[in-house]
Amino acid sequence: MKREPIDEILATEEELIPSSGFLPSVMERVQEAAAAPPPIPFPWLRAVPGMVVAAVVLGGGAVELVRLAIPAMKGLALNPPHLSAAVAQPLEQAGWVALALAASLLSWLLSRRLAGSSGL
Amino acid sequence: MNATPKNAADDLADVERVLAGDVRAFEGIVRRWQGSLLNMAWRYCRDRERAEEMAQEAFLRAWRGLGQWRRDGSFSTWLFALAANVFRSELKRFPTVTVPLEAAPEPSGAASQLNALQERSLHDVLRRAVLALPLRYREPVILFYFHEMDVAQAAATLRMPEGTLKARLSRARALLRRRFPHLEAEQAAMAFCRKTEKEA
Repeated sequence: MKREPIDEILATEEELIPSSGFLPSVMERVQEAAAAPPPIPFPWLRAVPGMVVAAVVLGGGAVELVRLAIPAMKGLALNPPHLSAAVAQPLEQAGWVALALAASLLSWLLSRRLAGSSGL
Repeated sequence: MNATPKNAADDLADVERVLAGDVRAFEGIVRRWQGSLLNMAWRYCRDRERAEEMAQEAFLRAWRGLGQWRRDGSFSTWLFALAANVFRSELKRFPTVTVPLEAAPEPSGAASQLNALQERSLHDVLRRAVLALPLRYREPVILFYFHEMDVAQAAATLRMPEGTLKARLSRARALLRRRFPHLEAEQAAMAFCRKTEKEA
């Protein structure tokens, strides 16, 4: 292969010598790792029954939800809901409450950020 | 950095001892390969302190994974491949601060004015510019020159076919040449200066 100037420069690099503390510090980390207790294996035997039960419950719930939702959606498509004034007013108030909560959360986040950046 | 037959035999003996439970035998492996791994790490990050940390991490992973070394390949190839993986993922977690290749300054000036310091600076800029190459080109360059321009060893370390490595090297060189178009002329001028200084 023909050596180009790039080859000359990249191939002639000064070698670094490891510091005197390098070998001891590697061996210290290795000794620490060797002395550490082996990681606790995941308790599959205990977890599997719980996971199966959770999967059955979630799966059953999802099936039931879909089963109930289909007729409800059909009904909604045929008769669109009309909210009465008695229902609409609390909903409006809930909206204002949600907005106030969101504003509080935002100002709390902002103050935390400002305090964080100034080191307080 | 190349594995000699003696090194290979020593590596095998030490690996067997470590696998049999003698942790201290790993010291022999570290002693033999610390220089190589440190220099390899240095080429990945160009930061001495960080290179030591990365090399240390590579040794620790090697110790944990010694059982995975299959005796059909050389220990050094396995170790360098593992180290390359460690260095790559370390740099993904905390990338080195590099300037884009286009922004790497090309030292300029009349060729005759270039002195040893400028030559050194030019070389350093070019070496640092390697870090600004896309990873797929950067690693073949790092490992090709680390392995003293041995395509087979560099390809084995990166676990890629030699043809792919050659193609990527060629593309990397083209990118560097495009960035440093006057490199050849400046190298020639510097060689001329050195020669005339000697004669004077």
